[in-house]
Amino acid sequence: MRNKPLEVRHRFDVRMLFFYAAIPLLLGLLLFQIMRLQWFEHDKYMLQSDQNRLNLVPILPVRGEITDVHGKKLAINRIAYRVSLVPERIDKLDDTLNKLAGMLAWTPAKRALIHKRVKRTRRPDRPVLLDDKLQWAQVSPLAARLHHLPGVDVTAGSYRLYPYANLTSHLIGYLSLARESDIDAGFLPTEFIGRTGVEKSFETVLHGHPGHQREEVDARGRRVAVVNRTPPVMGEQIQLALDVDVQQAASDALGDRTGAVVVLDVNTGGVIAMLSKPGYDTNRFITGLESQQWQSWLNNPEKPLLNRATQAAYPPASTFKLVTGLAGLKRGIRLARGSTTCPGYLKLADRKLHCWKHWGHGKVSLHKALVQSCDVYFYKLGDQLGMAAISDAASDWGLGEKTHIALPPEARGIIPTHSPYMMAAIKNSHSKRKKWFRGETMITAIGQGSLTATPLQIARLAAAIANGGKILKPQLLANRAADVLHQADVKPGDLLKIQQAMRDVVRNPHGTAHRALFHAAWTAAGKTGTAQVVKIYRGNDKNISKEELLRRHKDHAWFMGYAPFKHPQIAIAVFVEHGGHGGSAAAPVAAAIIEAMAKKQVTAMVQSQ
Amino acid sequence: MIRMFRSLDWILLASLLSLAVLGMIVLYAAVHQGDTGLWHKQAIFWAVGMAVFGALCFLPLRLLGLACWPMFGIALLLLALVPIIGDVHMGARRWLDLGVASLQPSEIMKWALIFVLANWFASREARGLIEIGAPLLMAAVPAGLIIIQPDLGTTLVLLFAATAMIIAAGLPWRLLFLAVAGGIASLPVLWHFMHDYQKQRVLTLLDPQSDPLGAGYHVIQSTIAIGSGGLFGKGFLHGTQDRLHFLPEQHTDFIFSVLAEEGGFIAVALLLILYALLISRILFIGHRAHNRFASLLCIGIAAIFTLYITVNIGMVSGLFPVVGLPLPFISYGGSALVTMLAALGLVMRVAIESQDAIPWQRPGSPLA
Repeated sequence: MRNKPLEVRHRFDVRMLFFYAAIPLLLGLLLFQIMRLQWFEHDKYMLQSDQNRLNLVPILPVRGEITDVHGKKLAINRIAYRVSLVPERIDKLDDTLNKLAGMLAWTPAKRALIHKRVKRTRRPDRPVLLDDKLQWAQVSPLAARLHHLPGVDVTAGSYRLYPYANLTSHLIGYLSLARESDIDAGFLPTEFIGRTGVEKSFETVLHGHPGHQREEVDARGRRVAVVNRTPPVMGEQIQLALDVDVQQAASDALGDRTGAVVVLDVNTGGVIAMLSKPGYDTNRFITGLESQQWQSWLNNPEKPLLNRATQAAYPPASTFKLVTGLAGLKRGIRLARGSTTCPGYLKLADRKLHCWKHWGHGKVSLHKALVQSCDVYFYKLGDQLGMAAISDAASDWGLGEKTHIALPPEARGIIPTHSPYMMAAIKNSHSKRKKWFRGETMITAIGQGSLTATPLQIARLAAAIANGGKILKPQLLANRAADVLHQADVKPGDLLKIQQAMRDVVRNPHGTAHRALFHAAWTAAGKTGTAQVVKIYRGNDKNISKEELLRRHKDHAWFMGYAPFKHPQIAIAVFVEHGGHGGSAAAPVAAAIIEAMAKKQVTAMVQSQ
Repeated sequence: MIRMFRSLDWILLASLLSLAVLGMIVLYAAVHQGDTGLWHKQAIFWAVGMAVFGALCFLPLRLLGLACWPMFGIALLLLALVPIIGDVHMGARRWLDLGVASLQPSEIMKWALIFVLANWFASREARGLIEIGAPLLMAAVPAGLIIIQPDLGTTLVLLFAATAMIIAAGLPWRLLFLAVAGGIASLPVLWHFMHDYQKQRVLTLLDPQSDPLGAGYHVIQSTIAIGSGGLFGKGFLHGTQDRLHFLPEQHTDFIFSVLAEEGGFIAVALLLILYALLISRILFIGHRAHNRFASLLCIGIAAIFTLYITVNIGMVSGLFPVVGLPLPFISYGGSALVTMLAALGLVMRVAIESQDAIPWQRPGSPLA
């Protein structure tokens, strides 16, 4: 030591003081930091701690089932399991996927697809769906080994199954996962929403309300305990007025043909059958429809997605003669109570309007004109009525307006002079055509031309004729009281004449539906129709064969009617696109429906005894 | 023997035993849901450590003075061997496989450096080129070897202890200020040589939210744990952050957050008071020691404890970057606990030898 001992010691003492002071300073700094966290920012961290540990997990409601009038299930829920994975919790993705591929029997192609899906996700903290619609037997080996596979989860859920998917596709509709707009409206991304048909119309009833539970979770998101729970409100079951057996009978009778069938309860307006062909497999929508399948449906010239019963309007053809006849009776046109001669054509200026029977019907009254569907009689009756009277009658009997069935969107059909669009079209189409021609009124009187109606409107018209003129709102749900939208202005005596004519369409050997319906189990009344197809297919669709082209120029076939005649129960409308003649193509379908209804009633009677 | 018992430093012992009890309680809270075997192991480590502590109370400091140079030499040799034959654990080459057990030469070097520095300054003050230059070299060489492993924590310990001892040994204040200024100036250079993960830790400290699930996760979760503890804590075994495993390594480096969450500010204050008591007592024993070697030894040991505590709590509470240093006497871990108790054994030996002796160079002291 070069320095003086006492000086050294003094220096050391000073340094020690420095250290003594440094200790509380350092520890005080720490204490201050802790105080900051625990006192000043305590609330903030407490909140974060709660958010950390509490997870709000939604519990989805079970969707209400849909049954037909006899309780047969049309839409049910099946339990299925799905396997998902949270990418960010996986250390070795390939290992995990290999294990899962072994347990779930994935093909190499599927495994590759899933690998891509996991790799592509933009939210590695969110579960990625690996496999869906699995049964317990398939997932149970995996479920038993879940704790060896952190980040992989098996969850149970339900999916919608339509036992009569193709038969009820337009009526029942389908679901799909919530879209962006639904999520904005408060739905969860995992919820399924009704998109068409009953699934859409009764969405609020069927859907229910999700519940939730607050779960305490650990850092890996695994549930440790349930803190509290709000149970979901289950969706309500819906019973439709539909009788799926009748629907099936109609479908069988229609076969591969394109068309639509509507069967209504004459008294309540309940929809006993509503078929549109071709249908489509609504079960394909459940897991998210393959876009290829969707495209093929969209591009199919037969338009399977279109509900022909409500969304498509066609010329009602001779079925409209009933309305013209009713208008004639109401307006007191002499011809309606008298008769005229049908030579097979009507001369109008330099044109000749033909009757379908080229050699003529001879002397025809209203009754005979309806039974044998004479065109010339109605050309004359229409001419005497004028377009305004025909239009008024069409409106009065429920055409040209929505039926307000709970299946939007719905076509209105067209009553020419009542349609502003139509009139605008007439005024704009040709410079010479500035007015409505007489010939057009005549064509309209037999249900041709620009007049159109949906099969549902025609069925409702049949029901109205059967029930005394009550225009009903078609009802999808079972056991509903009749909802009369309005009463057609008709005298009972006039209506009876029309009804008797309709009865004779079936009873009279010359009636157009005699062959198809005379031997039916119930006494039926009706009217056939054959709509001329004026649409000319141009050569823009080259892959259409000659036979197909011919088929497409075939007439549309109609039948509308009701049964039994004395105490009507059902009203029927059958429409067959390019089916040919109403009597031969459409009326037999109605016969099959009546057959099915009668059989059901007999079975029910036997069972009740 | 009775004289020795009488001469034990009871304040040191009492604060140590209080920390032992507190540590075991907190460890129980940290592991009670997982591997409770760790708690029993730690109890055994305490027993072993206390045995070493007791044994070292009988080691004459003279022998340590003689043994320190060979010890330092061996440690340096082993440290030099690490880059060549060491095992790699978690991206760092720190361990030597001795066949029977693994060894971290840097752990030995930490204590060996204190011993040689104490020995060096036992007979000289830190005034003059050689007097300062030689110890700087003694610290810089091992520090350089350790930081390339890389082991930032141990390097910090080494440099901090060496600095404290040089200051205690009478480093002129102006040199100290120059060194501090130089140190700050050289930070960018240091930054340049840091590994990416170390840089990341510093960046994470500045903004933990920038990477909430990556590097920032630990800090965010531990600050949530501490902050949510509040004044009185959530109660023993009632913490949610650790119970639900939001905190990884909660029984080792992050155990402080368990104490803070369940015990609240009260428990934190108690712990810091115990630490303050322990460190001041070590300093006090060093202050009134009978020779300079003993004094500097105590200051070195106190420096190591201080750094451990400051860095650990600072890191867990988001004040410093994440540097892997244990919380003395609380964190789970056998070798760290035993070496710390051994160091306290040496301090106790200083207390025993200085009993009834006059502090060095005080009037009446033999060296005066």
